[in-house]
Amino acid sequence: MIRERLRPLASQAKRAYVQLMLDVVGRSLEAISQVDDEVRGEVAVLPDGFLFSMQVMPKGPALFIRKQRDGSLQYLGGGVAQRPDLSIQFKHLHHAFLVLSFQEKTAQSFANDRMLVDGDLGYAVRMTRVLNRLETFILPRLVASRAVKEYPDNLGLPEKVFSAARIYLKVAMNFVDTVRSS
Amino acid sequence: MSYYEFFCPVKVIAGQAALEHLPYEFSSRAVERPMVVTDKGVRNAGLLDKVLSACEEGGMDITVVYDDVPADSSKQTVTAIAKEYRKQKCDGILAIGGGSPIDTAKAVNILVSEGGDDIAQYAGSGVLKRPLKPFFVIPTTAGTGSEVTNVAVIADTEKEVKLPFASGFMLPDAAVIDPRMTLTLPPQITAATAMDAMTHSVEAFTCLAKNPLSDAYAAAAIKKISNNLLKVMEKPDDAERRLELAQASTMAGIAFSNSMVGLVHALGHSLGAACHLPHGLCMSLFLPYVLEYNLEEIREPLSELLLHLAGPEIYAMTPRSQRAEESIATIRKLRDDLHRHCGLPRTLQETGKVEKSQLDRIAQMTIDDGSIMFNPKEASLEDARAVLEKAWA
Ligand SMILES: [Fe+2]
Repeated sequence: MIRERLRPLASQAKRAYVQLMLDVVGRSLEAISQVDDEVRGEVAVLPDGFLFSMQVMPKGPALFIRKQRDGSLQYLGGGVAQRPDLSIQFKHLHHAFLVLSFQEKTAQSFANDRMLVDGDLGYAVRMTRVLNRLETFILPRLVASRAVKEYPDNLGLPEKVFSAARIYLKVAMNFVDTVRSS
Repeated sequence: MSYYEFFCPVKVIAGQAALEHLPYEFSSRAVERPMVVTDKGVRNAGLLDKVLSACEEGGMDITVVYDDVPADSSKQTVTAIAKEYRKQKCDGILAIGGGSPIDTAKAVNILVSEGGDDIAQYAGSGVLKRPLKPFFVIPTTAGTGSEVTNVAVIADTEKEVKLPFASGFMLPDAAVIDPRMTLTLPPQITAATAMDAMTHSVEAFTCLAKNPLSDAYAAAAIKKISNNLLKVMEKPDDAERRLELAQASTMAGIAFSNSMVGLVHALGHSLGAACHLPHGLCMSLFLPYVLEYNLEEIREPLSELLLHLAGPEIYAMTPRSQRAEESIATIRKLRDDLHRHCGLPRTLQETGKVEKSQLDRIAQMTIDDGSIMFNPKEASLEDARAVLEKAWA
């Protein structure tokens, strides 16, 4: 007898959470790249039109970001047909969940072989720094210090931009609880 | 709780008369017409002859030899060798040498197995999906560990970029480690390459991707280097100790290819590129200062390493709270001893090839180097600059 297995609720929630957080990260990256000098400095080195993506294997949620000529980043959503110049691919939904719920540092996740990096490793290092910087903006200090190796003390927060992201994040955090309790 | 992966499918053939096992290894993979890939240095040192005559005695005549691999191998070199391989109808590759011939041979193997003339199309990680042609490696410097790493770097001289290749399929079927191959290595190269292996082990043991299996290889390699390096400097023709160093290099290679390296390599890659200094020397110049920089993040593993660096007596005599510092002091002392033996520079200034005005650019290159990703402590531009300043004089 062939029986179709129903996808458990926790896994659905996890997928929804990862999808939502990738969207939060994408929008926030776009915002932060317009106001933060440190991020602009990191991004300056990337060639114009540089396409960066984070994806969950196989064919899971994704985010695509393109470097604009004015030095900022543009969020392109979750589906772009073009092959990215640099991609970070999580081997499993769960690994993306660990990173995006800030339970595992990005660098540690890479070190643990939980994700594949395809492209110039130097650019990957830069994007990791940009993501770390982003996390320090949108997360409360306590959570951020777990998610990045070191929490910078020279944060000049452009508050307004990120209060929206924070509210978003609060909604998202409910998913963590949903997943954990099931 | 931690998670790790560990992979090393390379058969290691090591010890006295290891070269004489080559014909059997070739036949076990049905190789009848291997192509040797090596460089002039290996030929001129008489090492190629040793390999060829060991094979000849074993009933295998090797007639196809490419001995012109340059120090920084390029796309064109790879294409040229692959063309020769096809023309000669070879059915396997034997690389003899240090990092450059081995990396070149790895890339040649991709081309002759997958087809085409442009190696650039296979750049990146995870591109290869199936096994390549039979491939064997004989390392001639006890340092790089390339015989057990799944990466290669080839220069694209037209676009002025370095093409990285990474795949488990690039690993050789076997690595042959014979003490005869490193017996005549000059003192400074012996010292520098051993410090490269030492750095592979220490970084593997202290960086983000450390794991129990790579730890075991790293610790054992450090012990071998600590016990044998200075003795080899005193008595270069001691085949037994040469073999110990060669094995340590392979073990260190297994360790770091599974747990990566950190800031010492990021700084070293940058210094090497900017000032054209040998890689092993760059490692030796930065190792103590990076350990100092990382100290509070790595106190525990670095304390453990004292046992392997200095031996059980000193380990036992040193109070627990001082062991990490003592490990750094031991490495500094080794560096100073090597300077006494063969003049291996101790500081950037002593190399005579670095200008102080270059340090800013080297720091910038350092924070863009991929190896910095796995350093246990975040390093900013200012941090990298500060370490360079300390290493200056
Ligand atoms: Fe190295």
